[in-house]
Amino acid sequence: MHPLERLINLVALLLEARRPLTFEDIRRLMPAYQQGDSASAKRMFERDKDTLRDIGIPLETEATDAWEVDQGYRIPKDRYYLPEVAFTPDEVWALFVAAHAPGQSGEAEQAFQKLSTGTETNVLAAMAERTAAPGVDPSGPHLGAIADALARRRAVRFRYRPAQGKSGPREVDPYALVFRSGNWYLVGLDRARKDVRSFRLSRASGPVRESGDASAPPEGFDAASLLEAGPWGLGRPALTARMAFSSKVAWWAIPSAPGAIVRRTRKDGWVEADIPASDNESFVSWVLSFGADARLTGPRSIRDQVLARLTVLSREADPAEAVAVSDADHTEHA
Amino acid sequence: MPRAATRPGARAADRLRRLLVVVPYVVRHPGARLDELARLFDVGERELVEDLNMLFVSGLPPYSPGDLIDVQIEEGRVWIGMADYFARPVRLTRSEALALYLKGKALLGAPGLSEAPALTSALRKIEGGLGEDTLASLAGRVEVGAGGHVARSLALVRLAVERRERLEIEYYTAARDELTTRRVDPEHVFSALGNWYVVAWDHLAEVERMFRVDRMRSVRETGETFAPRGLEGAGRPLYSRSERDVVVRLLLRPAARWVAEYYEVERIVRRDDGEIEVTLPAKDLQWIAKLVLRLGGEATVIAPPGLAELVAEEARRTLALYPSAVRR
Repeated sequence: MHPLERLINLVALLLEARRPLTFEDIRRLMPAYQQGDSASAKRMFERDKDTLRDIGIPLETEATDAWEVDQGYRIPKDRYYLPEVAFTPDEVWALFVAAHAPGQSGEAEQAFQKLSTGTETNVLAAMAERTAAPGVDPSGPHLGAIADALARRRAVRFRYRPAQGKSGPREVDPYALVFRSGNWYLVGLDRARKDVRSFRLSRASGPVRESGDASAPPEGFDAASLLEAGPWGLGRPALTARMAFSSKVAWWAIPSAPGAIVRRTRKDGWVEADIPASDNESFVSWVLSFGADARLTGPRSIRDQVLARLTVLSREADPAEAVAVSDADHTEHA
Repeated sequence: MPRAATRPGARAADRLRRLLVVVPYVVRHPGARLDELARLFDVGERELVEDLNMLFVSGLPPYSPGDLIDVQIEEGRVWIGMADYFARPVRLTRSEALALYLKGKALLGAPGLSEAPALTSALRKIEGGLGEDTLASLAGRVEVGAGGHVARSLALVRLAVERRERLEIEYYTAARDELTTRRVDPEHVFSALGNWYVVAWDHLAEVERMFRVDRMRSVRETGETFAPRGLEGAGRPLYSRSERDVVVRLLLRPAARWVAEYYEVERIVRRDDGEIEVTLPAKDLQWIAKLVLRLGGEATVIAPPGLAELVAEEARRTLALYPSAVRR
């Protein structure tokens, strides 16, 4: 008998069984296990059991008598069947795009196939024709293991190479996974440093090992707050800055600031806009990054910082040239 | 059968895994076409028929004709009956669920994807809908930052990649601070560092190039199609070294240290005073000058000669936008 046939029959039998079946029951019911002696049939059964568990079938073992001498097997329906989750055609397509994004796709693809068995044929057929799915592959080899540990509340150990400094071991209680600017970060308690730290997964190396139960995040822990842009972003908005951008950069600079509102386009082509700004260095730095293609009118606190920075920078090459900045005047127009 | 007989364990497991999805699909879509099934489940038609034939002889004890799964294959279509217990697929394993969920989350991290709202709601359904031990414990523990620049032309570019259509783009090159119009044959779209990139053949320079989608000021269809040249897609380095590269050395004070993390730097030297010296290659100095400018005095140029002056010049030009603020 073909092993595939035997495996299908075994799944069907254990799924439909009303009570746990012992190996002897199974052997009596399935001719596949009647060939040869009992010991070799039992070995074959053990291998089959492992195969089913490997592919994620919840095969359970239960005692079938009060003295727990005999073991019975069954596949509980409520743990076997995929719960019904109804997706709209748009959602199915979105999942298809995700499953086919670059990177390891085997398991994501299997997940997609299971989730889409209820989808209209024509919807799926139209998808299969469209192959060019864009995406990202920031996962690296450790994402799966760390996400799994996070889901099961287990601590992890791995080697880590910080941006500066030497590679070394880390033991972390995972609190969250955060994806930012194309990288996955693990945020959690660094046990040796007794502090919440974030680790860029692409800097982890070696195997990820589990190391016991993880502690719970502290009261009020908020993974989303860790997403605040770093110095390379605009920072958390606290006030509104009035700015103007040259026509060369306005079309991409303004949409890149979440919540920006275009006010008007001037005759010279410059575009005026209100930009949600942080009240710290991040925003000053963002304004400076456009050089002579952006001008900030207010608020004055930020404008003063921008001017102070520019003054220092303009002296860099020739310290002898003195440039004085007056903070008294903010009425001029560029 | 002969092929499977050589390595029964592993192959049979793969085939079983596939059948436990194909069967529910066919049960729900009676008369599904073989060629469609083959494409959907990424399997050869012959192999699929072999697997389905295995079902003919499977079922429940005592395996009399009335107990066996009923499979009909006629004129390229399939019907399956007597298999109510396989009418629904098996649950996702946690690692399957995680693989799809995390890929979806990462995709949301590059803004501008037209599918983002549908993807967000689909992932929410997966989070809560797959049962307690699959993903439920991850709710609120996986967050995505919507940083990066919004790529308005993304949908158009993706369509062109799919249909192999030549595009005319107006492109802003930040490195040289210039806007050019060029015809490109886009072959791949992918995202990295929170931005969308296109790998394309550039007809202006007659070379293969990478373009950032958010730096395309306009995208116009040309009505022409192209034959793909087999350019490399996602996973390629974002920066490729060339002979023309200038070696830039910067001294970064603590507030500017993020540069070492964010850009591909070649060498980092840590100094006793807490400052770090980084070496990074650059094709054009224009963008490095802007970078130093944005660091607002937290970085000092060590090399190449001339860069410091470039920075100071840009600073003076910028200051000139605030005429009454400057008294000489």
